[in-house]
Amino acid sequence: MSKPVSSRINSQSGEVIDRTKPINFTWNGQPLTAYEGDTIVSALMASGVQVISRSFKYHRPRGVLSASYVDPNCSVTVSDEPNVRGAHRRLREGDDVRAQNAWPSLKLDVRAVNQLVGRFLGPGFYYKTFIKPQFLWPSYQKVLSRFAPGGSPPAPGGGHGNFDKRYTHPDVLVAGAGPAGIAAAIEAARAGVKVMLVEEEYEIGGHLRYGGPEALAALAALRAEVNSYHNIEVLTDSVVTGRYDDNWVAVVQRSGVWSHERLIKARVGTLVVAPGLIERPYVFAGNDLPGVMLSTAAMRLLELHAVRPGTRAVILTANTSGDEAVERLRSAGVEIALVIDARTGVTLRRAIGRGRLKAVECADGTKIPADLLITATGWTAPTSLLNMAGDRPIWDPVAARFFPSELIPPSVMATGGIVGDGTIDQLIKHGRAVGAEAAARATGATPTPVPPLTREAHPALFHGPTTGFLDFSEDVKSKDIMAAVKEGYDSAELAKRFTTSGMGTSQGKLENVNAMAILAEATGRDLESTGTTIWRPPYAPISLGALAGRAFDPVRISPMQPWHVEHGAVPLIAGQWIRPEHYGDPSAEAQNVRTHVGIIDVTPLGKIDLQGPDVVKLLNLVYTNNWDNLQIGSVRYGVMCAEDGVVMDDGVTARLGTNHYLMTTTSSGAATVWETLEMWLQTSHPDWSVNVTPVTTAMASINIAGPNSRELLGRLTDIDLSPEAFGYMKVRTGSIAGVPDCVVWRIGFTGELSYEIHVPASFGLHVWETLLSVGADLGVSPFGVEAQRILRLEKGHLIVGQDTDGLTKAYEAGLGPLVKLGKDDFSGLPELRWQESLAGAHSQLVAIETTDPQLVPPEASQLVVGMAEIVGRITSSRMSPTLKRSIALARVSGELSVPGSRLTIVLPNGSRAEAVVRENLSFIDPEGVRLHG
Amino acid sequence: MSHAESVASIKEPGGAQARRRRSRGPARYSALDIFRRGVTNSDWPRSFRQHDLAKSYDVVIIGAGVHGLACAYYLAANHGITNVAVLDKSYMGGGGSGRNTAIIRSNYLTPEGVRFYDRSVVLYQNLAADLNYNVMFSQRGHLTLAHTDASLRTMNWRAEVNKLQGINSSVIDAAEVGRIVKYLDVSDRPRYPILGALYHPPGGIIRHDAVNWGYARAADHLGVQIHQQTEVLGIETAGGKVTGVRTNRGAISAPIVVNCTAGWATTISDMVDVKMPLITHPLQAAVTEPVKVFLPTVIVSGSLHVYVSQTDRGELVFGASVDPYPSYSMRGSLEFTESVASHILELIPSIGSLKVLRQWAGLCDMTPDYSPIMGVTPVDGFLVDVGWGTYGFKAGPVSGEAMAALIATGRVPEIISAFDLARFADGRLVGEKGAASVGH
Amino acid sequence: MILIDCPYCGPRNSTEFRHAGEAGKKRDVTTNDPAVWRRYLYQQDNPLGWVRENWFHTAGCRQFLCAERNTQTNEFRWVAPAGSPGPDGASDNGSAR
Ligand SMILES: Cc1cc2nc3c(=O)[nH]c(=O)nc-3n(C[C@H](O)[C@H](O)[C@H](O)COP(=O)(O)OP(=O)(O)OC[C@H]3O[C@@H](n4cnc5c(N)ncnc54)[C@H](O)[C@@H]3O)c2cc1C
Ligand SMILES: [Zn+2]
Repeated sequence: MSKPVSSRINSQSGEVIDRTKPINFTWNGQPLTAYEGDTIVSALMASGVQVISRSFKYHRPRGVLSASYVDPNCSVTVSDEPNVRGAHRRLREGDDVRAQNAWPSLKLDVRAVNQLVGRFLGPGFYYKTFIKPQFLWPSYQKVLSRFAPGGSPPAPGGGHGNFDKRYTHPDVLVAGAGPAGIAAAIEAARAGVKVMLVEEEYEIGGHLRYGGPEALAALAALRAEVNSYHNIEVLTDSVVTGRYDDNWVAVVQRSGVWSHERLIKARVGTLVVAPGLIERPYVFAGNDLPGVMLSTAAMRLLELHAVRPGTRAVILTANTSGDEAVERLRSAGVEIALVIDARTGVTLRRAIGRGRLKAVECADGTKIPADLLITATGWTAPTSLLNMAGDRPIWDPVAARFFPSELIPPSVMATGGIVGDGTIDQLIKHGRAVGAEAAARATGATPTPVPPLTREAHPALFHGPTTGFLDFSEDVKSKDIMAAVKEGYDSAELAKRFTTSGMGTSQGKLENVNAMAILAEATGRDLESTGTTIWRPPYAPISLGALAGRAFDPVRISPMQPWHVEHGAVPLIAGQWIRPEHYGDPSAEAQNVRTHVGIIDVTPLGKIDLQGPDVVKLLNLVYTNNWDNLQIGSVRYGVMCAEDGVVMDDGVTARLGTNHYLMTTTSSGAATVWETLEMWLQTSHPDWSVNVTPVTTAMASINIAGPNSRELLGRLTDIDLSPEAFGYMKVRTGSIAGVPDCVVWRIGFTGELSYEIHVPASFGLHVWETLLSVGADLGVSPFGVEAQRILRLEKGHLIVGQDTDGLTKAYEAGLGPLVKLGKDDFSGLPELRWQESLAGAHSQLVAIETTDPQLVPPEASQLVVGMAEIVGRITSSRMSPTLKRSIALARVSGELSVPGSRLTIVLPNGSRAEAVVRENLSFIDPEGVRLHG
Repeated sequence: MSHAESVASIKEPGGAQARRRRSRGPARYSALDIFRRGVTNSDWPRSFRQHDLAKSYDVVIIGAGVHGLACAYYLAANHGITNVAVLDKSYMGGGGSGRNTAIIRSNYLTPEGVRFYDRSVVLYQNLAADLNYNVMFSQRGHLTLAHTDASLRTMNWRAEVNKLQGINSSVIDAAEVGRIVKYLDVSDRPRYPILGALYHPPGGIIRHDAVNWGYARAADHLGVQIHQQTEVLGIETAGGKVTGVRTNRGAISAPIVVNCTAGWATTISDMVDVKMPLITHPLQAAVTEPVKVFLPTVIVSGSLHVYVSQTDRGELVFGASVDPYPSYSMRGSLEFTESVASHILELIPSIGSLKVLRQWAGLCDMTPDYSPIMGVTPVDGFLVDVGWGTYGFKAGPVSGEAMAALIATGRVPEIISAFDLARFADGRLVGEKGAASVGH
Repeated sequence: MILIDCPYCGPRNSTEFRHAGEAGKKRDVTTNDPAVWRRYLYQQDNPLGWVRENWFHTAGCRQFLCAERNTQTNEFRWVAPAGSPGPDGASDNGSAR
């Protein structure tokens, strides 16, 4: 084996590795060692590994480009976590690191044949091919999808991990802890406000960390100052991913005491954006060869990780970063083969090599052998957070980068490289001024502008005389943009979409400006008029886990639910509520109600307490029927329609006192009804005096139903239950099982003699258990929602939302008798007036009987005329344990709704069945003898 | 500098030769051609030409989204009406048509809806060949999960209506769902366990840009003019009839103006005082970084307000229901990604480490019944093809075909007759909310 | 996330509120013209720019509020109890619905 290109050098003054703490890890199964503080990539390079990945489309070998989070060539899989940023993530003991997107191995990737056919894989290749024959496309597509880049998704199984969230309200949040950002935080803290300083890297300092002795000294001073303020919270390995409306700021904290990422949501007074600058790659042939990297990448490797990135270097420099790199490489023992000063107008032609850099071809054609090529050709301002605040950056042709416009709101400020240039001192001075102003704005001061930083001239360099890679993560070349323009995709948006440039994992941070520059040239425009760089959130990728946080979805249960579970109840998930569907045999439960007595937990029923002199007005407005003459001690059933006449909810309301009513709603409709009541009162009738109090969970509710219900309840209450004293649709209050202040009303959803009792919730279980124990001889047993559904269907009572849908108006639901068109006003009145005038020429809810009594047509089975003309559907169906035959409700068109009409049902399996429309919706006891007994 | 000036500097392939090539049709895309150009390194010809704005057109279509472009294409292809301008204030596909999540399906709830969207699926199936442009239609199957009794009931209803219309659609149980998508948690551990799903095998996803560009290229070839960066500022009428439009590039006269501006439809209709029951809500979407393909179908969960599919490039594409308040702002929100992520992890718990790379929003013109508004208006010559809400991409082909037929014949085609503007005043709503509020 | 300055509670996250439709709709239950009623039911101004609308502070004071918001920027310039006369003094006739 030849001597490795890269290797560890002796101790550097700014290094972040701890040479006393070695770390073991594996790379594609091969054991390697590193030091604590090493990134995956610095460790690999220190071990002589240069090829980190294979590229997306052409499977070209790739090595370090920027040595930072955005490095497009350094995504790896760590254990089962795909797409880990290897140039950022610090190694942990035992990490199992693997290359991705290479098969069978990183060295020999068979898909690299794509390189040979690359000339045919131009932009829009897919759109132009596999068109015919059409039937082959699905198979082509299966093959294509195997070429998806990235790692493998973690295998299924297990929960969703432990992710937390945090809320915070800093007065000033500084995004980016370079010299300007740190200075801003310090100065804001000095003003006494609460400051959060967020840094994407593992240490604060930005470019000072690898900027030489003077920079390190400045950083040490800044650090000390930061540490002296307890009102600065410093977050490292954390990044501000978004600025949303009204300074709602998202910060993702990548490492900490928890194993995964954490999302911090901050409502920020003033956001200070100080992300520095990102070094821009240079486009030329061979620019993606391992060994070609940015000046900042070389310096990071050298200064932070003491890794020498090569042995013999060519440097293309247009700025001080490149110049410094020359010095630093030289002192690290790298042979400097050639320095090309791009400021003088010279450039290089191409990088040569197969799988790694071998030589650099100069403009004049000379070939300089080298294993390292450093470019320092310019900067990109990561204006993402400013874009999100409404900014539209403007290209400055002199400084050759974008600068923020005037569109930034006062709650957002910027400092550092993103707004100008300067010495370390000048950057710090600007940061301090911005920090002081940010604190002032956060505490309500009128904004005053901060004098800007100066801008230094920089040559506008984007590409050399050859074509090369523009977007490394998408494998887009500069000539692809030219080709797109020639085909007519000649605006920034169309060219981007057609070539997919900027769509990859580095989010355009390295690519967008070069792409725009090349587009501008191809279309003969200048960069300014070609467009601007607008990044969509998030600024940095954020894990689903961090966004999700802990699974949190509240559950509502009645005080009796634990009892139900203990007694074998099968749970029914009904919106937020969990309730018993049945206890094993719903049919038997239903029958027991018909023959003896059953009790059901109906706590989820919405319950709203209404008090005040104008309750009746409100009831008249929300219900379709009349409430003027409801006596104290009576209850009444009512239907509510929305303004379009569509049935919205139903339930009974009781009059407990002169100005005191208790309303019940369906359990799923409770929240809507509550809001609707408030809406009418607050927006249309603020003069009415009604107090609305939801009491759903304050009371446990039990329905006692069956011929023995009077006897059962009578054993526990002081209320006179005799038919004369307590008739059908009456309400009484009294004590039950020793619990005072219970409300009892006599109603009959099931069609049986029944009492619904509402008791203070804390006594719900006591009353429930007492009912069961004192009624054993009466045959009492609990029944669940399914038995109730059977019973109500036998009785022909509809369920809103099941027997009605989002367009069903009252008359179509057979609720006409409950609509009092003579009232002055109620919700939906005009629509119902018009529907009534149709005299039945609209769909109707009917009860039907199948010709075959044993056939229960599944709900949703369609009713048809002829082959497939739909005229209705089954809305509810069951086998009736009482009648021992199939029963159903159906929605059917007007003509077919008359009793005796014969209907054709299409069953889900396609077969057909016959049914007849019944006279009456009730299958049992249409006269209500049981109910009124 | 205006767009018109800037494009003037782009070199068109030389005069006569180019004209000849154009008259023969756009360059046919074929394997052979790709090979030839690869070898000779020659360029593809322009797919869309640039034009000066003419003084008048037979038809002006506002909005170069899939609806406007398809309408223009079918006008030219099916009816020989080619003196047509498609105007867009932005770039083609810059509205919903370039921002959607590209779900195509026909498993709607009403017979009118099912018939309509099914015609679109048929057109999509043949679109690549029709346009000689691979639109990458992937009929990978579409699963709408049910987590509650109520949603299972709606699924059953949809399945039965679908079957009667000859649509492949059925309700399957949780175990079957788990067999189709291994990564879904079909146990009863989640807060809202999966009870079953509506399975629609012909449903799937498509490459939205390709559809837009394919229509644009084919329409351009047939003589239609597409004018990007051309904003309509007003509509001229005389005696209750449309006479033309005013744009930032000058005035155009035209007897027929079609509103295909989706989220902006109100702003256009307001120009002629045609009141429509539309409300514009943002709809957001997000993608993750790519991982190897593991999700075979489109998955929608109405109860959890989320849907997901995986592109051939390996990205997961997420969406949800519209933002909770109306707005024309297309800035995404953090709430959206938070809620999508938490719901996705309920469905697919193992992918917590996958990262969201990008989020964006588009505008949706919501109607009260979740069905579109198509056809004539009280202003003669002013036609609408709007109300596309969160579900209109899939309807591009059938809408274009039907609107073109309406323009060419003056008669409203049967297939869109239920979607007329007058239905709201007449109380004839076509209720699709149960089939369209999340699973666009 | 936008902040809504509830006149009862102070500034709160918009997720605490429910948007309750455009304000100032005319409700006439006596009308015999379905088109009039259905305009009330379905028609929205849906302007690009400033709109007067209602919000309900669901997870707060449970009060209906009236506000003016710019639909392009989501900026609020006025929030008040439902039915308040507008910032320009113009009343909604109390029918803040
Ligand atoms: C995030 C998201 C996901 C979606 N997912 C799906 C999905 O999975 N399946 C599905 O079927 N649908 C989906 N949709 C809906 C679908 O995108 C739209 O319904 C559809 O694209 C509408 O197409 P269009 O051609 O009518 O309008 P658009 O594509 O929106 O085009 C309207 C055009 O009008 C232009 N315009 C506006 N005003 C003017 C003016 N004054 N002058 C000139 N031009 C003007 C705009 O610039 C725009 O280009 C989704 C939408 C979004 C936002
Ligand atoms: Zn409040």
